[in-house]
Amino acid sequence: MFERVLIANRGEIALRVLRACRTLGIGAVLAYSEADRDSLAAQLADEAICIGPADPRRSYLSASAIISAAIVTGCDAIHPGYGFLSEDAGFAEAVAAHGLTFVGPSAEVLERFASKEATRRLLAAHGLPTIPGSDGLLRDDEHALAEAGRTGYPVLLKPSAGGGGKGMRMVRTPRELQAALQVCRSEARAAFGDDSLYLEKWLDDSRHVEVQVVVDRYGHGVHLGERDCSVQLRHQKLIEEAPTPALPAAAREELAERALRAIVAAGYENVGTLEFLVDRDASFHFIEINCRLQVEHPVTEMRTGIDLVATQLRIAAGEPLGFSQADVGFTGHAIEFRINAEDAAHDFRPQAGRVERFYAPGGPGVRMDSHLYAGYEVPSDYDSLLGKLVVWGPDRPSAIARGRAALDELVVDGIITNRAFHRAMLDNPAFIGGRVTTNLVDRVGAAAFLVPRG
Amino acid sequence: MVQRDGEMTERTPEERLADHATIDRLADELLPALVAKLGASGLGEMDVREGGWRIRLRMPADGRASRRSSGPGRGGHQSPSGPANPAAHAAPTARGASPAPNPGDFDDPAPASRAVATAPAVGFYRPRPGLAAGARVRAGDRLGTIDVLGVPQEVVAPSDGIVGATHVEPGDPVEYGQEIVEIELLGAPTVTPGAPPASTATPTVAPTAAPPAPAAPTASTAAPTGPEAG
Repeated sequence: MFERVLIANRGEIALRVLRACRTLGIGAVLAYSEADRDSLAAQLADEAICIGPADPRRSYLSASAIISAAIVTGCDAIHPGYGFLSEDAGFAEAVAAHGLTFVGPSAEVLERFASKEATRRLLAAHGLPTIPGSDGLLRDDEHALAEAGRTGYPVLLKPSAGGGGKGMRMVRTPRELQAALQVCRSEARAAFGDDSLYLEKWLDDSRHVEVQVVVDRYGHGVHLGERDCSVQLRHQKLIEEAPTPALPAAAREELAERALRAIVAAGYENVGTLEFLVDRDASFHFIEINCRLQVEHPVTEMRTGIDLVATQLRIAAGEPLGFSQADVGFTGHAIEFRINAEDAAHDFRPQAGRVERFYAPGGPGVRMDSHLYAGYEVPSDYDSLLGKLVVWGPDRPSAIARGRAALDELVVDGIITNRAFHRAMLDNPAFIGGRVTTNLVDRVGAAAFLVPRG
Repeated sequence: MVQRDGEMTERTPEERLADHATIDRLADELLPALVAKLGASGLGEMDVREGGWRIRLRMPADGRASRRSSGPGRGGHQSPSGPANPAAHAAPTARGASPAPNPGDFDDPAPASRAVATAPAVGFYRPRPGLAAGARVRAGDRLGTIDVLGVPQEVVAPSDGIVGATHVEPGDPVEYGQEIVEIELLGAPTVTPGAPPASTATPTVAPTAAPPAPAAPTASTAAPTGPEAG
């Protein structure tokens, strides 16, 4: 096992990785930018080292700064968290070249799955039904129009080089497509340095269901069930839950098993997630894989009792998984609410500012993963995620009831959050009925969810 | 720096509480005595191990006890006993944003005639051969380099002046923004609180001047915080 791990990330995930290090008795060093000098993880880590200014390109996205920091502080491994360099094959390779271990898949595996478009073809070859879409990247506007016509509108334009909703546009007509191509290309170029696009069929009223897998270095893999992430705004997840209300137990089992089999055959390692769209007729289509820890991993942890970050570290350290599919138990229902510094009443505009008061709810089946503390100055340089509130109950209605209580208890003063949006969702008939689809929030408008129901 | 000596093993909550109590005790009881001893001895550095704990103290070349200007680690942001050097925190530098000074840092009046060259990156410090205190330098002169994975990045003088104390030994690991070399400014201007000095040299901050405030948080800006956006 590692002696010392450099945590090359920030916010709530830095704290999460720190906690896993403590669990395993590993020393933890936090690499931080100047904007995160006063972060909670910086205060709690065994050592904290400033790697650069607030600009992520010179700090959290700087491979040399991060690797140099790891060497300078005597670390033998680097945990990249999620986002930033967590799926960057070049970074993983550089880490290995300097004699350190990258906590995640190897550079070779990351390279294999780097292109979302190529991954779709790879996993189709391994037996997964994939979403219909363009045959390769869109060479030019003419090619794009032809592919969209062949696939059938509506289609979703997607950047091949990255995720998180950036550079994505759903279009229903050729005219919309032509207008969107420019916008998507420049967004993708700005966000990922690569403006390659491909397109997929867009399924109206589909569910986003993803499967969590863990595979050790010896090819032994298990799945840890699925998560439903259909409550989204502009392709960004807001609420995630497990199990998915969209599929009966047998179908969920089949989905997870097929995903696992395909991804092990394709040579994956460490922790990862395969994302699917589930159609109205319960048919599922693979869209992409995330070769890293996901934000919503606590949902799976609450149902299985397995520490996913500790598992990442153990696999990266060369340990065998140590348990089989039969050993994995799933209990109850878990729901996660992403608490963002965003003004839901005004188009989810991001906020920055000082947290005057912070009170995290507690009690059985209530978990708060957050880096907030009273007096914390939320920097304006990074994403708006303040924390994740995760609740568990023996069934979905009890999880929802716990969610209402926990959201009512949660206090974040001094900065506007989307707490009220989440609370309103728990009174929304579509959500209560388990009928939320991926574009519901966009279509109806987030503000609609804030209207108290009579 | 105070840290547990030897291997990290899993600590129970009770052991953690005991750890925190021990750190407090070491900080309160032992550190003042050690700092005094170090100062009296004329030595540059002291490394003490006591009952499974390790305490490391280092004197800057000018003999004033201070803590590292950045990087909390265990022991958090508190200084070991001894006068904190407020000037070390207050002086902005040529590269990037300096840490916002704490109000308490202005208790001791800071000399308004100095600047500090800071590390432009995280790595190992290598001084320029022949660099000596008292040498005259111009703004932008190379004072040394930081070895970042074998690639040297320059530590430059933030302003014209005279090389003063060096806070870091050759080969020492440094973090981004860490103070490396003091530069005494020539013909130190009288700085009016709140007013920038007339010269084009990097302004120093007078003790009564308002600390440079981080950029006021605005919705959806991507600008980094700090007085000098990089």
